[in-house]
Amino acid sequence: MSIQNLNTFDPFADASKGADDDVQDGLVHIRIQQRNGRKTLTTVQGLSSEYDLKKIVRACKKEFACNGTVIEHPEYGEVLQLQGDQRENICQWLTKAGLAKPDQLKVHGF
Amino acid sequence: MAEEEDIFDPMLKKKKKKKKTTFDIDAALADGKNDLLFLKNVTPVLLVLIFKLKSDIGNDNPEGTTNGGEEIEAQGAMGDDVDENLDLKILRKKKKKKPFSTDDLDAALNEVKDDIGGDAPNQDDEIIDDDFDLDFNKLKKKKKSKKQNLDEIIAEVDDKADDKENVDDNTISWVGSDRDYTYEELLNRAFEIMRDKNPDMAAGKKQKFVMRPPQVVKIGAKKTSFANFTEICKMLHRQPKHLLDFLLAELGTSGSVDGNSQLIIKGRFQQKQIENVLRRYIKEYVTCHTCRSPDTILQKDTRLFFLQCETCGSRCSVASIKSGFQAVTSKRAAIRAKTA
Repeated sequence: MSIQNLNTFDPFADASKGADDDVQDGLVHIRIQQRNGRKTLTTVQGLSSEYDLKKIVRACKKEFACNGTVIEHPEYGEVLQLQGDQRENICQWLTKAGLAKPDQLKVHGF
Repeated sequence: MAEEEDIFDPMLKKKKKKKKTTFDIDAALADGKNDLLFLKNVTPVLLVLIFKLKSDIGNDNPEGTTNGGEEIEAQGAMGDDVDENLDLKILRKKKKKKPFSTDDLDAALNEVKDDIGGDAPNQDDEIIDDDFDLDFNKLKKKKKSKKQNLDEIIAEVDDKADDKENVDDNTISWVGSDRDYTYEELLNRAFEIMRDKNPDMAAGKKQKFVMRPPQVVKIGAKKTSFANFTEICKMLHRQPKHLLDFLLAELGTSGSVDGNSQLIIKGRFQQKQIENVLRRYIKEYVTCHTCRSPDTILQKDTRLFFLQCETCGSRCSVASIKSGFQAVTSKRAAIRAKTA
């Protein structure tokens, strides 16, 4: 255990890391909810607020051929909603687009 | 290469047709289901006949004889694995030239490429069953022109060098060659020895955690019953409430335990899906994160859950159960009516 008071603080650490990586911090929760019948709904919670969720949802809608929306929630912030079971798709897409790392994604549901 | 294939394809087909008319055996050969012994018996006869046929063809269209090398390559592409075919070609050629010995082969290889080791003979063992159409062409060709053969050998040796790299990846033995072993190879070796010496460890976990599968029954169209819910809770030594919270949060629905100690979940779920969720629960809240032993106690300490392991004595906090964001899936009008 090192003494934390004596650690030097680098004020430019964030800047040197680069703008594009590590914007996402914390887990991205991907959940599925059952609707009536065989229909389902996928929610993506916890994406960094630095991202433009509207753009993401637009791209996702096109990519997965489903409808989707961004919901503003007082506690959880902006949440992505996609129609259908898009858990696999959204995981792949988020990692491929470099928005989140695979270990930051947490898939819930059955 | 592709173009050449196109050019030569018709000719090849013609040849095959001719063969087929003469031999039924050849059809079987083309199919690739050839028996080696059987082939050995037949080859001398076949060779002679095919050689004759080919020479006839050669007279018909001189292109076939001049571009023999390309022709062979085109046929090689027909085989399943081109590299292997090429190897076979080389070896066969050499055999024809002189009595085959590994030294000769090595010498020849070294002439062309310096850094080729001594496992060439191993490869010819591997490639016994192959497309035998090739052989015939090649043998015939050898008789015809030796100059082209040399060029081909050079080209093929290059291919072979590529092939060798792949072989190196697969084999763990660097014993035969004098090259340095890599870290991965040593690591694999160490692990293999470990597995050989104590097979108990091979499974990874010392004791498998045996669970009874959840009994999941549909109730009507919209509800699911998890019949042995309390039983499973007892097996896991967990409070039913905790498991209930987790299940409902993960499945994103609501539910309750009814009088016969079975869990009624809203929504349609299959046993497999419940099993998946249960598996995640066990991984997170039952097995020790350090030693993976299921012999643990879940304690609540100042709002946080701690997992205390009875086997190794480790104690670590586990994630709290949160259902997170829940989208509106029921009729909004109904919700409004309820709240208002």
